[in-house]
Amino acid sequence: MSTFLKDLLELPFLQNALLAGVLCSMATGVVGTYVVLRRITYIAAAISHCILGGLGAARYFSIVWGWTWLKPVHGAIFTALASALIIGLVSMRAKEREDTVISALWAVGMAIGILFIFKTPGYNEDLMSYLFGNILMVSQQDLYLIGVLDLFLISLSMVFYKQVLAVCFDEEFARTRGVWVEFYYLLILCLTALTVVLTVSVVGIIMVIALISLPVAISARFFDRVWKIMVCSIVLGMIFTSGGLALSYTPNLPSGAVTILLAGLTYILTILYFSFRRQK
Amino acid sequence: MSEEKEVIRFDNVDFAYDRGSLVLEKINLTISAGDFACIVGPNGGGKTTLLKLILGLLKPVSGTIKVLGTDPKDSLHKIGYVPQQSKFDSSFPVSVLDVVLMGCLNRSFFWGGYSAEQKQKALLAIEEVGMSEFVNRSFADLSGGQRQRTLVARAMVSEPQIILLDEPTSNVDIHGTEQFYNMFEELNRKFTIIMVSHDIGFVSNRVKSVICVRQTLQVHPISELTGETLQNLYGSGVHAIRHDHRCSEGGHSCLHS
Repeated sequence: MSTFLKDLLELPFLQNALLAGVLCSMATGVVGTYVVLRRITYIAAAISHCILGGLGAARYFSIVWGWTWLKPVHGAIFTALASALIIGLVSMRAKEREDTVISALWAVGMAIGILFIFKTPGYNEDLMSYLFGNILMVSQQDLYLIGVLDLFLISLSMVFYKQVLAVCFDEEFARTRGVWVEFYYLLILCLTALTVVLTVSVVGIIMVIALISLPVAISARFFDRVWKIMVCSIVLGMIFTSGGLALSYTPNLPSGAVTILLAGLTYILTILYFSFRRQK
Repeated sequence: MSEEKEVIRFDNVDFAYDRGSLVLEKINLTISAGDFACIVGPNGGGKTTLLKLILGLLKPVSGTIKVLGTDPKDSLHKIGYVPQQSKFDSSFPVSVLDVVLMGCLNRSFFWGGYSAEQKQKALLAIEEVGMSEFVNRSFADLSGGQRQRTLVARAMVSEPQIILLDEPTSNVDIHGTEQFYNMFEELNRKFTIIMVSHDIGFVSNRVKSVICVRQTLQVHPISELTGETLQNLYGSGVHAIRHDHRCSEGGHSCLHS
């Protein structure tokens, strides 16, 4: 741990990593609360896996076709928003097929990604860092993007707080009040998509869903107001990402996995604490 | 044209879900201002569908519906809707005041919090349903009856002319049900009330008219509601429980045979 603190003061890539985790926690805390309350964590998971398609395609076009301006993150943002809109429109128009479409998008997105990565010359190490995340690779430029997206996500979530909350709580009633429910539902999905993109850089595609849902699930046990849950989730997210980074640094472990284990362990302890307290 | 006091009018309305068979057939119905009408019928008979047609959440296959003289979607803001309680997430982290404030929402994208005036109205509505001491209590911690009162307050806060209630007493015990009807009777002085219930036994001595739905529709003044009518509606296995029916001035004549 002391090595971590000493290096943190000296190494910019470590500072970037820590900052990326902190910024990312702000988005996951706010948007993750909506995701958990609206019970769409499986949609967030599908979007995160779809992103591999966009990442792989963007990297392929950039290397093979020489589109050097195209960064993998652009592909990720595009795919995330596209899959969110597809899932949203399908669930609004044809409710009974929603889960099938989600599963299809989930798997097809990954398949496209794997093919592109396979056909791209060079090392395939990137695949691993997309799947499992590599927070130490976050560059200064990535940080700016994360910061801008963060600001955008949080301000939009706050601006429409009361409408989004009403749609999460009781969609049908909101509709009878004339609230444009479809718009807010798609808004929630797009916010989720962008949050997923941010989080992929910290913990990777496969573990995104844990960082979005676990801090909220823990906070919801302690607090019974939406805004309190958001604040608590942000703090917890920061503790988990920073803690994961610190704990994984000296033994040279994958930081994403350590972060998620830290969150999972806290979640289990919380559940045990509450079930123990109820028995007493 | 139509009488001023008429708040809801269905003319030859047919409804089916997604090209399926008709759920409602040739519905003709009028409800006048100040009525306390109860829609009864077996499960799947089309009670909730009728309510959703009034709300404009569903569109009829044929026929016309007028609510307060206009198309249902244009009169939506003058209706307070109290949905079935069973569909709520029982751990959703909101307070009683938060829930009631949701009744203030409208078409606008106006952002930020609720105004002081809206909060004042919400507190007033909460007081009217007897929930003042629970304003800051979590919705999740309330009993079935308290939740129902909260949802009624949410429907009232926008100052509607009609209140629609979907199975309002389904999570309330027998004692509480009696109190509820006292409250509805009180509210009926201000609003036209239309409620859905499968619970005809309790309903019958308070409401002014009963609308029986089982694909087709029959409206009975409360005095005409007999065991035979109920048997036709629910099938032969049902015994009608008679209470002391109170014949009321608000009954409709039978519009469909």
